[in-house]
Amino acid sequence: MIPATPALAPEQSMFKFGGFGTLGVSHSSLNQGDYVVDSSMPKGVGRSNEWSIRNNTRVTAHAIANFTPQVSAMFQVDSEYRSDGSYRPEVEWLNVKYAFTPNIYMRVGRVPLPSFMDSENRDVGHSYVWVNPPVDVYRQLSIPSADGIDAVYRSEIGEAGNTVKAIYGTNTEKSSDSVSTSRDMWGIFDTFEYGFATFHVSYQQRRSSSQSLATGVSGAWSNYSDLSVGASYDPGNWFIISEWVQHRSSTKVDAMYFSGGYRLDKFTPYFLYSQNSAGSFLTDSPSLAAIDRANRSQSTTGMGLRWDFMRNYDFKIQYDLVKLSDNSNGYLINVPTGVTLYGSRFHVISAVVDFVF
Amino acid sequence: MFFRCCLILPLLLAVTAFAANTQAPIPPTANVQPPISPPVNAQPQNAPPANAQSNVVVVVSSKSAVKSLSAEQTSKIFLGKVVTFPNGQAAVPIDLPEGNTVRDEFYAKVVHKNPSQLTAYWAKVIFTGDGRPPSLQTDSMAVRKAVAHNPNAIGYIEKSAVNRSVRIVLEP
Repeated sequence: MIPATPALAPEQSMFKFGGFGTLGVSHSSLNQGDYVVDSSMPKGVGRSNEWSIRNNTRVTAHAIANFTPQVSAMFQVDSEYRSDGSYRPEVEWLNVKYAFTPNIYMRVGRVPLPSFMDSENRDVGHSYVWVNPPVDVYRQLSIPSADGIDAVYRSEIGEAGNTVKAIYGTNTEKSSDSVSTSRDMWGIFDTFEYGFATFHVSYQQRRSSSQSLATGVSGAWSNYSDLSVGASYDPGNWFIISEWVQHRSSTKVDAMYFSGGYRLDKFTPYFLYSQNSAGSFLTDSPSLAAIDRANRSQSTTGMGLRWDFMRNYDFKIQYDLVKLSDNSNGYLINVPTGVTLYGSRFHVISAVVDFVF
Repeated sequence: MFFRCCLILPLLLAVTAFAANTQAPIPPTANVQPPISPPVNAQPQNAPPANAQSNVVVVVSSKSAVKSLSAEQTSKIFLGKVVTFPNGQAAVPIDLPEGNTVRDEFYAKVVHKNPSQLTAYWAKVIFTGDGRPPSLQTDSMAVRKAVAHNPNAIGYIEKSAVNRSVRIVLEP
């Protein structure tokens, strides 16, 4: 996908193939629970295995077909650790695009959800500095796509550029013990760029219902909404970036991260701080299970190094110190019943190689 | 309480970014020297001298209506963020191949990205379906030829490769 040999003719061919991936491993110092980067994962690193590739290994194949200057299609299939414990390949995106002008287009099919600044390229490790986009924030909204339509309008306002996107669709998401169906998903996503600064604001809403895989019973439909705000400044030699999200359902949860780094030749050392807060209730008389889920909160302080050792490849090593809140096990899974790890600190070390082709 | 802190942080970042942006951006290379133009026939075009102070210039066809461009406007065209010149005319950017020193100098001085930052940028854009990179030509002569033939084209070449078929719109 990244052209390796120069084309002698200026025309580009109709079909383009490429892909990207990450191969890596992480280690957790806590053996009483699993650390996961996504809420759909049934196992992570820690209790299930002290060393694991689950959080850090994925590969995606990508194809674009440009039928005419207005009509094109995009297809992406990926393999990563899934809710059923397998690495079975699945279609991540498949859509057809119609461009009214180069700056106004619509897509139909499975389209990516740009909930946060790196949501659409969440699996492209080579496109960001961390081992994973900050987990405490990005796991708040792990729905990656919608089946429906999106519309984009790009504009220039003097030296500034603005892209606004609207999406409407549905989604079905599997976790290890349930299937969640979302209807009437809609969202507005705006990215504003001026010089070295980028700002991102998004608001989205959906109604979802979960069906338990074990019993086949479906829960009631609930409304969910998410508001996110982000900003980054990247003059080249250094960068800072921060995002904040507020997730509302029957509870209200906030999460944020702040990160920055410095570029020295092929090395980029960086730091990261992220946290999510315990939720507060928006309805009366929550159940004990709901209180338990709402109380989950943790913070992460991390630092790492990215090394661009070769074109289209990079190596990263990251150290995360995770601190669980005083009244929860944070976002750990597979904690033995009755075990409380309140206030615990543990660390996760990850090493990955990203590639694009 | 945390929520208020969390909202303030991105806003603080935004204010800092705006304040910092009002100053002129400083290019990453600290050397600022007046451009040195070697005599036109002094050296073969396809064998760069060992210590070449390769001076890159941005050119359009001499048939183009575009007279000059800012670094910011040029950067946006080569990153695919805009597809037209400021006058509304379509813009078709042409790249030199990866690894070429003139290309690296252009992207460092005008776009403020090193090669791995550029790969990371295009990885994000291509794999989210938001655009595609410029087409390629093998060297400055080939770029000059391609640009001269297309009134909508824009490319960057060594200053020593400039002739009357193209016009310099930016000298970084």
